[in-house]
Amino acid sequence: MDRTERLLDLVALLLDAHEPVSWAELKESFPEDYGSGSDEATERKFERDKAELLELGIPLTYVQGDEDRKDGYLLDRNAYYLPEPGFTPEEMAVLYAAGSAALASGAFPGRHDLQHSLRKIGFFAGGELATPKVRMELGAVRESAAVPEHLETLWTAASARKWVEIVYASPKRPEPSTRKVDPYGLVLRRGVWSLVGYCHLRQGLRTFHVHRIRALKMNASKPRTHDFEVPASFAIDAHVPHAPWQWGIEPPVEVRLELQGPLAAQAGAHFPDARVERSGGRTEVVLTVSLLDALVKHVLALWPQARVVSPEPARARFRALAQAVASRHGGRA
Amino acid sequence: MSDVHERLRRLLFVVPYVARHRGVTVDALAKQLGVSREELLRDLELLTMVGRPPFQPDDFIDLHVENDRVWVDLDQRFSKPPRLTGPEAAALAAAAELLRPAAQTALASALAKLEKILPPGAKKMYRELGSAVNARSQASEELGILTRAVEERRELEFDYAAPGKTATEKRRVEPAEAFNHRGLWYLYGWDLARGSERLFRLDRMTGIVLTDRRFSPRPMPPARVPNPAARGEVRVRFTAQAAPYLRERFGGEARELTDGGVEVRVAGEERWLVQWVLSFGGEAEVLEPAWAREAVSRAALRALEETR
Repeated sequence: MDRTERLLDLVALLLDAHEPVSWAELKESFPEDYGSGSDEATERKFERDKAELLELGIPLTYVQGDEDRKDGYLLDRNAYYLPEPGFTPEEMAVLYAAGSAALASGAFPGRHDLQHSLRKIGFFAGGELATPKVRMELGAVRESAAVPEHLETLWTAASARKWVEIVYASPKRPEPSTRKVDPYGLVLRRGVWSLVGYCHLRQGLRTFHVHRIRALKMNASKPRTHDFEVPASFAIDAHVPHAPWQWGIEPPVEVRLELQGPLAAQAGAHFPDARVERSGGRTEVVLTVSLLDALVKHVLALWPQARVVSPEPARARFRALAQAVASRHGGRA
Repeated sequence: MSDVHERLRRLLFVVPYVARHRGVTVDALAKQLGVSREELLRDLELLTMVGRPPFQPDDFIDLHVENDRVWVDLDQRFSKPPRLTGPEAAALAAAAELLRPAAQTALASALAKLEKILPPGAKKMYRELGSAVNARSQASEELGILTRAVEERRELEFDYAAPGKTATEKRRVEPAEAFNHRGLWYLYGWDLARGSERLFRLDRMTGIVLTDRRFSPRPMPPARVPNPAARGEVRVRFTAQAAPYLRERFGGEARELTDGGVEVRVAGEERWLVQWVLSFGGEAEVLEPAWAREAVSRAALRALEETR
């Protein structure tokens, strides 16, 4: 019998049963599958089937019999059926809109899980759900055909706690390197997906852009055994910043910028992590910077609506980079 | 995920779904399940063979396709789909973070309800995996006004600082879509004063007012964020140090140079071009045309002089 068919029959049988179904009864009900061959082989087969059902969230348990009932397998119907979640229209709209936008973006980890999730929460919704008017486009890199597939494998590996082997092409190195990584999590920032995990090669936490992964393999041995545990202190937010000047490469310094024109009015929106100070018609923002060049280049692009006020090394770096651009373009200072 | 796992999940959903939507067309059901028509018909055929031992006629799921519509006799066993698994709920929670700035309260209560309907064994996995993915977008809470205006078809008024303009302008817009591109939020809609569709960046909007004026949606082409780096007449050369990043963004359009650098051609919108070249801080050089070289040089010199 086809395995999918057998598993469905098993669910049908157990959902119907009013008392535990014994191993002997299962063997009798599925003579070709569990009834023939060595005891060891058929038991192994059933164990694999059981594991598959448990992974699907089917509440299958083995109960020890007592005076009133016999030993056997039981499916807890109350725990099986999806209850009505009771979402308000607003709650439903936000879940559905965000979930659909994530799926439509073409690259979201756990794509299949997300599809099932949306279907299930939509099950009780009366009528058709309106087309969500929220959309997401990653749009940051061109060569990203493998990203959706890699995200899916990383999601599976992160949930099963299995290590992955990646071939990684860093822009800072001429040749791709092969590394073993324990995938702790995935982060989306500015249209770029990053993997954060423990790198066995560097023996520490590292961040990898998913689009720079050239090849990816998940450890296939013992799929139901964890290869690693994520340390309790690990917080994914801390590893991938929203802005490139927060990369934590240098000791953090406070940099003060002055903003003018429309940018002054949008200070908070443009620099969400900054402290905004306004006085006497002057707008300044104070940022914590751990990669100075990234901020200086950003300010250079915003000039004249943004200027570096302090500290002096940041101003000096601004002058040096402006000088470098001018020199390349034949400008004399 | 194995094929068996995926198919099984789908099939456990199909029967309750059809029981609830009797006579659903094959195509609508295939769309709902995200599979091809052929795949669905194979699934349905398999389902007709599913039943409980001893497989007497009454023991089978009574499912049939007639005139391209799918029917199932109410099957008490499969009246509802199974509960969400830990990973299913975690994927949804991770995706929902996209709209966190827009709907703090609704999102928090939705996620609390979601966790409540999980089977007890799935909660640990849900929490662990949910915190392993972070897709939270960064935006002001005003994103909530945008999504609400789109949903309720209400006109918006705001001050907009168009790129390159030194002052803001009042805008009246019929909002059609909230749109996240490279992590930035945009509003796409019909600009009433200009009489055409426009794209607005949320971080350039201030003083947003949700009016009570309702509108009927107009036919509009899909929103597209203009790509200023689209192929054009301006030739820009990059050093070997910057080249890997350009290769990622331009793919095959980045021409390899003998010194390890690359050259790309971009459209020549002056303001964008100058900003873009400046943002590479000396790793980029405009080769031609001359006006573009001069514009970059001029801006760099002025920035330099003013920072002395």
